[in-house]
Amino acid sequence: MTMDNTEAKKEVRKAYGLIAKEAKPCCGPAKTCCGNSVDPAVRISKNIGYDDEDIGAVPDGANLGLGCGNPIAFAELQPGETVLDLGSGAGFDCFLASKVVGENGSVIGVDMTPEMLEKARSAAQNEGYDNVEFRMGEIENLPVANDTADVVISNCVINLVPDKLRAFTEAYRALKPGGRLMVSDIVLEKELPDYLRQSVSAYVGCISGAVLKHVYLDIIRSVGFRDVEVLEESHFSIESMLNDPSAKAVIEKTKVTPEQAEMALAPVLSMRVRGVKGNGD
Amino acid sequence: MKKDLMNILCCPKCKGKLGLDVTKEENDEVIEGALTCNACDITYPIQDSIPNLLPQTK
Repeated sequence: MTMDNTEAKKEVRKAYGLIAKEAKPCCGPAKTCCGNSVDPAVRISKNIGYDDEDIGAVPDGANLGLGCGNPIAFAELQPGETVLDLGSGAGFDCFLASKVVGENGSVIGVDMTPEMLEKARSAAQNEGYDNVEFRMGEIENLPVANDTADVVISNCVINLVPDKLRAFTEAYRALKPGGRLMVSDIVLEKELPDYLRQSVSAYVGCISGAVLKHVYLDIIRSVGFRDVEVLEESHFSIESMLNDPSAKAVIEKTKVTPEQAEMALAPVLSMRVRGVKGNGD
Repeated sequence: MKKDLMNILCCPKCKGKLGLDVTKEENDEVIEGALTCNACDITYPIQDSIPNLLPQTK
């Protein structure tokens, strides 16, 4: 089965709406630590680059363990800056950014899933995050004026966006001249086998919506970003993939052995990438 | 939605400015209301303080 863009978006909204309600993590981390009773979202977040202070600093329920890296750690945010988070989910990265930019700064989270936005907004309200705002919107059609953000961050979301060229074009447009892009995402070293790429479950599990690494970087450069640089990358482990409910469902449905799945998923990379919008653009 | 962040909002379709109609507000925060793009003739609702700026056709 193949999906067109509208269907893909619908599936993503549905799946993440359910995750918001059940608070169940999906996109797995680089490694797992079996046999403990730590909240899986906390475990995943530690594995992908958040420390205890980050995890403890945000409202309960804001961290669903759905990211694939810590974009804030690389974003070098400054007090007073305006930060735009693409696919803000329950608000975890927005709340972390909010503390850094302070009362003179602002953080805008854009997400298309009402359940996620509701969760994020009530957390912001309950905890008094006055400098964080959420908007329901699409990453390919950002409701953000030209040249307004100092930093655009996004964490494990653009792989889910069908039109990645348009997503990065919009991010570029919304950034001020000299503004920075800081994205954590899933990319591939080589194409996935057909049975994985065509599966809806694999799509919402962040796997089959991912594109080749060089294609992803070419897209970022092609929309105008300069100094595009991969700051960090790591392989997904098969252990974490097999703990991922959607990956598990694909494996069961397609009747592949864990060994075959491991081979098929070996090219999956989690990557942190940075780019800058030129001053003269 | 805070009124002072209106300046960084735009219509998701034409990227033009939006007009604001407030139905309910608390401390400079718009709780219910609507954002209108005159150029596209489209109104985007604000509910529970979150503007719904998903692209829509008339």
